[in-house]
Amino acid sequence: METFWETLKRHGVSRREFLKFSTIITGLMGLPPFMIPKVVEAMETKPRVPVIWMHGLECTCCSESFIRSATPLASDVLLTMISLEYDDTLSAAAGEALEKHKDDIMKKYAGQYILAVEGNPPLGDDGMYCVVNGKPFLEGLKKASEHAKAIIAWGSCASWGCVQAAKPNPTTAVPIDKVISDKPIIKIPGCPPIPEVMTGTIMYMTLFGKLPPLDSQGRPKMFYGNRIHDTCYRRAFFNEGMFVEQFDDDGAKKGWCLYKMGCRGPTTYNSCGNLRWYNGLSYPIQSGHGCIGCSENNFWDNGDFYSREQNIPFIGTESNADKVGAVAVGAAVAGAIAHGVISKIRSGKKE
Amino acid sequence: MSRVVIDPVSRIEGHLRLEIEVDENSHQVKNAVSAGTMWRGIELIVKDRDPREVWAFTQRICGVCTTIHALASVRNIEDALDIEIPKNANYIRNIMLGTLYAHDHLVHFYHLHALDWVSPLEAIKADPVATASLQNQLLQTYGGIISIYRDYLGGSAYPKKFPKATPGYFKTFQDKIKNLVQSGQLGIFAANWWNHPDYKMLPPEVHLIAIAHYLNMLDVQRELVLPHVVFGGKNPHPHYIVGGMNCSISMNDMNAPVNMERLAVVEDSIYTQAEAANLFYLIDLLAIGQIYIQKGWTYGGGLSKERVLGYGDFPDEPYKSIKNGDYFEKILYHTNGVVENFKDGVEKAIYHPIKAEDFTSPDIIQEWITHSWYRYPDNNEGLHPWNGITDPYYTGPKEGTKTHWKYLNDEGKYSWIKAPRWKNLPAEVGPLARYIIVYTAIKQGHIKPTWMDEMVVNQIDFVSKVLNLPPHIWMPTTVGRTAARGLECQLGANASNYFLKKLYDNIKAGDMAVANMSKWEPSTWQDKTKGIGITEAPRGALGHWCIIENRKIANYQAVVPTTWNGSPRDEKNQQGAFERSMQDTIVLIAKEPLEILRSIHSFDPCLACSTHVYNADGEEITSFRIGGACYE
Repeated sequence: METFWETLKRHGVSRREFLKFSTIITGLMGLPPFMIPKVVEAMETKPRVPVIWMHGLECTCCSESFIRSATPLASDVLLTMISLEYDDTLSAAAGEALEKHKDDIMKKYAGQYILAVEGNPPLGDDGMYCVVNGKPFLEGLKKASEHAKAIIAWGSCASWGCVQAAKPNPTTAVPIDKVISDKPIIKIPGCPPIPEVMTGTIMYMTLFGKLPPLDSQGRPKMFYGNRIHDTCYRRAFFNEGMFVEQFDDDGAKKGWCLYKMGCRGPTTYNSCGNLRWYNGLSYPIQSGHGCIGCSENNFWDNGDFYSREQNIPFIGTESNADKVGAVAVGAAVAGAIAHGVISKIRSGKKE
Repeated sequence: MSRVVIDPVSRIEGHLRLEIEVDENSHQVKNAVSAGTMWRGIELIVKDRDPREVWAFTQRICGVCTTIHALASVRNIEDALDIEIPKNANYIRNIMLGTLYAHDHLVHFYHLHALDWVSPLEAIKADPVATASLQNQLLQTYGGIISIYRDYLGGSAYPKKFPKATPGYFKTFQDKIKNLVQSGQLGIFAANWWNHPDYKMLPPEVHLIAIAHYLNMLDVQRELVLPHVVFGGKNPHPHYIVGGMNCSISMNDMNAPVNMERLAVVEDSIYTQAEAANLFYLIDLLAIGQIYIQKGWTYGGGLSKERVLGYGDFPDEPYKSIKNGDYFEKILYHTNGVVENFKDGVEKAIYHPIKAEDFTSPDIIQEWITHSWYRYPDNNEGLHPWNGITDPYYTGPKEGTKTHWKYLNDEGKYSWIKAPRWKNLPAEVGPLARYIIVYTAIKQGHIKPTWMDEMVVNQIDFVSKVLNLPPHIWMPTTVGRTAARGLECQLGANASNYFLKKLYDNIKAGDMAVANMSKWEPSTWQDKTKGIGITEAPRGALGHWCIIENRKIANYQAVVPTTWNGSPRDEKNQQGAFERSMQDTIVLIAKEPLEILRSIHSFDPCLACSTHVYNADGEEITSFRIGGACYE
C-alpha cells in the first residue's frame, strides 16, 4: 500500500505544499506545533488504510452526515486518506461481486483494515430482521470483525442501540459491543454524529495509526469531552436565569436558554456547542429547539423531549463524563430548582 | 433460464434483495422478485408516547430523505389536534421540502445512480481537450432548460458554481482516477462489472464529465442543505415542532434563530441549489439520457405505464385540515391523483383525482400481507392504516435454510415489505408518477394550473422536443424515471426560491410568528382523535395515520413510497413497481445484470422507510407476540 505522502505526490503535491498541509492538519487536530514533525512522519510512512463499512439496522443518516464534512471534504477522505473498499451506500459494485471483494480485502489486509459499522444487529428471530447476502447481518458483522485492526461504531445505533432499540425494542436490536468483545471499539455516537467528528476521527486514525484518546465509554475525548451545556453560546442566559418559557415567545426570539423547554444540553456529551454543524454554522439549540441528547445512551427513553431536565450537575461546573458520575444528584436538583427561581425573578423584572 | 440473485443491492438506503429469472436467448426477464430484508419497528415504538415528540422518532425512519417523516408526522399530529400553523412556518417547511428535493435528487443522481451509466475506467480514455469542448457544447445544446427556472428573489449577481470547461480541470480528475487504478486501491469503484458492453454506449468524454462532476458534487452537495441547518439546527435530521417551527424570527435580536444574516445563508444556499440543478445535473442528465434513448433504451417502465399515484404537496398558504380537505385547496403541486394507461398517450390516459376521502375511507388505501412475513386474522384481506395489524411471521426461503437463503419463495411469503394497494390495485409512486399526474391533469384540463404545475409541463415539453419523442414514449421508462427526478430537482430548488420570497414579504408585512402554541398543552386536546399527515417525499407519496387516545399515541401507521414501489405480490398475485420494471428490462448478460441495477436504482429505493412495523391498532398482543418471537 502506498503512503499518504506518496498519494499526495502522485497528485502533484509539492514537498513544500505537503509540509504546509501537515502544519494545518496538526492545528486542526488540536495538537501543539512540536507535533508537526510527527504528523509529517506519520503521513510519509502510513499507507492508505482499507475500510470496510457495514450497515445493519439503521437509517443511513451517518453516511449522509459523513459526506457533509467540510474539513476534510468527503472526496479528500475517500481519495487520499482511506480506501473505502466496501460500503452498501457508495460502492459501485453489488451482490456477489461486492461480497467477494469484501472477502478478498479481509484476507489481503487481515489485521490492517478498519471496520466501520453503521446501524446494529437485531438478535430476534435468529437475526433475520436484518438480512444481507441471504444471511443475518450479525453473522457478516462477526466475520468482518475477526481480522479488523479496530472497529468504529458510527452513530447512536452502533454505539448504544438508538431508535430501534427504544422500548419495546421489537427486534431486540443491540449495540455492536454486545456482540463483539475481543476488539477495540471506538464509539462515535450521535443521530447522526457531527460530520467533522466522523471525518476527524478517521483522520486521526489514519495519520497516527492508533485510536484517539478515549473516555471510559469509548468515545474520543477531543469530541465528547464536554457537555453541550458547557460550551453552549446560550450558557450565559442559563447562568442569568433567562429562559425561553414557550416556543416563539419573546425569550425564544432573543435566543435565551432552552433549559425549560426540555433541552438536554446539560447532560449530553458532544461537540455541538464548540464545533457546531457545518463548520460552525448552527446546531439545534441555535435553531431554537432544545437538544434531544441524541449522542447519549438510551436518549429515546430518558423521558419526554419537552420536559425539563432534572438531573443536571452543579451550575457552573465544567465537567466531563467520567467526573459527572460522582456528582450528587440531590445537589444537582437543588441547583436546577434554584435556577427556576432565579428565572422567575428575572422574567418578573423584564416584564 | 437461470435464476440470478443480487444481494446486497448497493447504492441504496437499507437492505434489498433481487432475484431474477432471465431467458438467455431472448434476454427477457421472465420472473423478478424484490424483497425487503430489514425490519425495525418504529411505529410500534412510538405507541404510548407524547404525540408532540413522535416526529423525532419517525424522522429516524430515514436519514437519506431526512426530514420527510418529520414533516409527515407534524402534519399528522396537527391534523388530529386541529392546529393551523402560522404562515411563516408553512413557508419555512416548504423551503425545507424544496431543499430536500434539490439535495436528495442530486445526490441520488451522482452518487447512487451515475455509476450505472458511466464508468471511471472509460473516463480514463477521454481526451481532456475534447472533454472541455464537449462541456461547452452540452451547455449550448441543453442550456434552454435553465430558462425554465424562475428567480423570484433577484438576489444573485452571477452563478457562483459553473461547470468548468478547461482541459486542465478534466485532466486533474482523470489523473486522480488513473492513480487510483494504478495503486490497486480502487475503493468505492472496486469490483463492478466495468466490462459490461453498456459502458461503451457513451463516448469516453461523457464518462469523464460525469465522473468529474461525481467528485465535484460530492463536495458541493453539503452546501445545498444549509436551509435545514439554519431552520432546524442540523442535517441530517433537522428539528421541527408540532404547531409550526422552532426557529423564531427577530430582526431586533442578535441571538435570534432567524435574522437577516441567517436568511442570507438560506438565500445563498438556494442559489447553489439552482446552479447545481441547472448547470450540472440537468445538463449531464440530458446528455446521458438522450444517447440512451437514441440507442433504444425505452424499457424499464413497467407499472408506470399502467398506474401511478400521488398525494399533492407545497401548500401555498396554511391549511385548516387534511382529513377535511382544505389541504387540497391550498397545494401548488397538483400530484394528487391516479393516472392509468399513460402509455396510450396523454389524451387517452385515465385521470382520477385524489381527495380527503381517499385517505379516510376504509377501503381505498389498504395494505396486504399475503406474500409478506406477517399474519392477519384473514391473510387474504387488506387493512386500512387506521385498522392495521402487525404480527411478524417469518417463514424462511424456498431453498436454503432459515438463516442461509439460496432462493426466496415467491409463491409464498418472501419480504418484510407489505403490499399497499389503491382500490385493490398496485401503483407506482415517485417523481415520474408525479410528473405523469400533473401533465395529464393539465393537458386534459382537470385543474387550473399553478406556477409549479406549469413548470412541470414546460419541463416535459422541453425534454420531448430535445428527444423528439412524445411524453408517453419516453416518460414511462427507466430513463424517464431518472429524468423526472432531475426535473424535480430543478422544481424543488425553484420552490425554495419562491417560498423564501414569500417569507421575506411576510416578514416585511410585520408578521414574525413561526409557531401556533394554542394547542401545545395536552390538557387542550380531545380525549380521542385521529389524524392524517401526507406529503410527497422525494421517492413518492407518503402518508402517516395516527389515533391519539388519552393524550398518547394509540396507533401510528406510515405507508411509505418504497412500500408502494418495492411491494411484493398481493393476494391476486399483482406485482409492485420494482418487479414490474425488472420484468420490463432487457438483460444482456444474465450474470452481470447491470440493466436491472439501473432500473431499480431509477426508483431510488429506500428500504429503511419501507420495512418498519405496522402497528396493531393499539392492541397489547402485538408487542407481546413480537417479544415472544424475539426471545424464543
